[in-house]
Amino acid sequence: MISSGTLHVIATELTVGMFALSGVAFLLCLIKKGPLSRESVAHWALLGGIIATPFAILTGLDASPGEGLSSPLLANKMLLSMTSAGLAIGILVRRKMGGEVDVRHASTGMISVALMLTTAGMGGEYSRSETLLFFVPKETVFLFPVWASILLIVLAAVMLGKSAVEHRS
Amino acid sequence: MRIKAALLLVLVILSSTISTANSGGEGDAVRSRDCAGSCHGSSSTNGVSTAILSIEFPEDTYAGLLMEIKTSVEGVDVSSSNMVGMAILVNPDGAKDLPANDGWEVITDPNGGSNNYVEVVDAFSSQTTVIQSWTLRAPSNPGVYDLFLAVQHGSPNGGVAMTGVSNSTTVEVQEVPENLPQLAPDWTPVNTRNLGESTTITLETLNTESAIVELKNGAEVTEILVVNNEFTIPAAVNTGVAEWRVILEGEGPTQTSPWFRLTAQEPGWEIDENALYLQSIALFLLCFGLVVIRRPTEDEYNKNYDTNYISDSTRGVIAASISTPEDNSTINGEGPPVPSTGLPEGWTMEQWQYYGQEHLEKLARGEV
Repeated sequence: MISSGTLHVIATELTVGMFALSGVAFLLCLIKKGPLSRESVAHWALLGGIIATPFAILTGLDASPGEGLSSPLLANKMLLSMTSAGLAIGILVRRKMGGEVDVRHASTGMISVALMLTTAGMGGEYSRSETLLFFVPKETVFLFPVWASILLIVLAAVMLGKSAVEHRS
Repeated sequence: MRIKAALLLVLVILSSTISTANSGGEGDAVRSRDCAGSCHGSSSTNGVSTAILSIEFPEDTYAGLLMEIKTSVEGVDVSSSNMVGMAILVNPDGAKDLPANDGWEVITDPNGGSNNYVEVVDAFSSQTTVIQSWTLRAPSNPGVYDLFLAVQHGSPNGGVAMTGVSNSTTVEVQEVPENLPQLAPDWTPVNTRNLGESTTITLETLNTESAIVELKNGAEVTEILVVNNEFTIPAAVNTGVAEWRVILEGEGPTQTSPWFRLTAQEPGWEIDENALYLQSIALFLLCFGLVVIRRPTEDEYNKNYDTNYISDSTRGVIAASISTPEDNSTINGEGPPVPSTGLPEGWTMEQWQYYGQEHLEKLARGEV
């Protein structure tokens, strides 16, 4: 029998490992060094990390003591991981649409990876009060008012709609 | 040279010290003593604690009723964190040693929780004795039971993790006398509350005609009126522990409960979860949209998905590097034509078919 804590460690290491690999490959893409397979590695590892992320989240919720969002760290983890996931999936979709792995593309991939690794680092702060990320906000959550979030969703929907129309045309 | 390096490596390995794992503790939990692998490294690397450990029971212990025990840790120097992990166990073997295995239930531990293992920060030293109170519910079957107190802590100089376990402390759990005034078997005290909130507690009793609650406030003990089996403990201004007990009177002998501890703590952190979820979705969509809206140019798309496509700039380089016009016929699905100078150094034809296009474009941009 494996406890949810152990399962969470497995899922987290899988996720972090995939993202870290992707980050290194994106770095090589950025500086245009290394083997030609770097682009494939960057995107496939990113996809692997994205697939593993929900398992890490679910096992983490199960392993976490208490119920709900009982700490600012958990709230910040959620915001960061969703931001990272948005960037990562965007990167993958853009690549699927034929986007070139230029400086902006590679940089965005690296930002996505950095955000996800920061999220993982915050887990250490939450469970053991230990992290190398000293800048991680421990008691502060930047929470938008509901209307601002709705405005952002509308803005995102408009952008996605515009992108889809341009892609078809 | 290799031998020197190997010797140096061996020297470095031999100079390593045994480190204390989790010097900051692992947190209170229901935990067996067999946690050596996860808490304090390998059990073979632990030291033996010099602490004098003991457990003190009340005079009478009745089956299924609440009782208070006191554990003491005496005469031990610990690490600079002054933390000692204490566990109440039913055997020292490291297996099936949880109190629940013998029917004990931890109602309130010294930290206000309900765990058999707690981490206590106090003035531990070779000159002091630290006493902690635990409220337990005795096993429902009368008989003779053993309890042990196990500790684990660091050492003053760091390095070695120390563990220790007390000798067996035997307690006789008696049958509950007939008509004994008592708290109901399924009644459990409240352990925690928020600052600034008064606490109303409802007692559930058996064979009881009247009850008086005593509230300890420092050295002073005040009585609280119990009405319809309910009484209220005033709100706490500061974090800390309020202790109270109930004296039950009825036909049987008068009974006094153990001191129950009510820990006042800062209100838990709260957030508007709906706003948080909505913001998470908004950030996800926004970031996704920001990346995707930068749609690829036609040139980018063709480069990646049309194997026959050659950009204008590349075409110029190809034209300049191809010696004979008939070589242009090789621009087909198997990659660009091979330059007159031949394949780049170290390339195979297969690599050229896949990556030749990219190579030519880099050539055109002057990156190669």
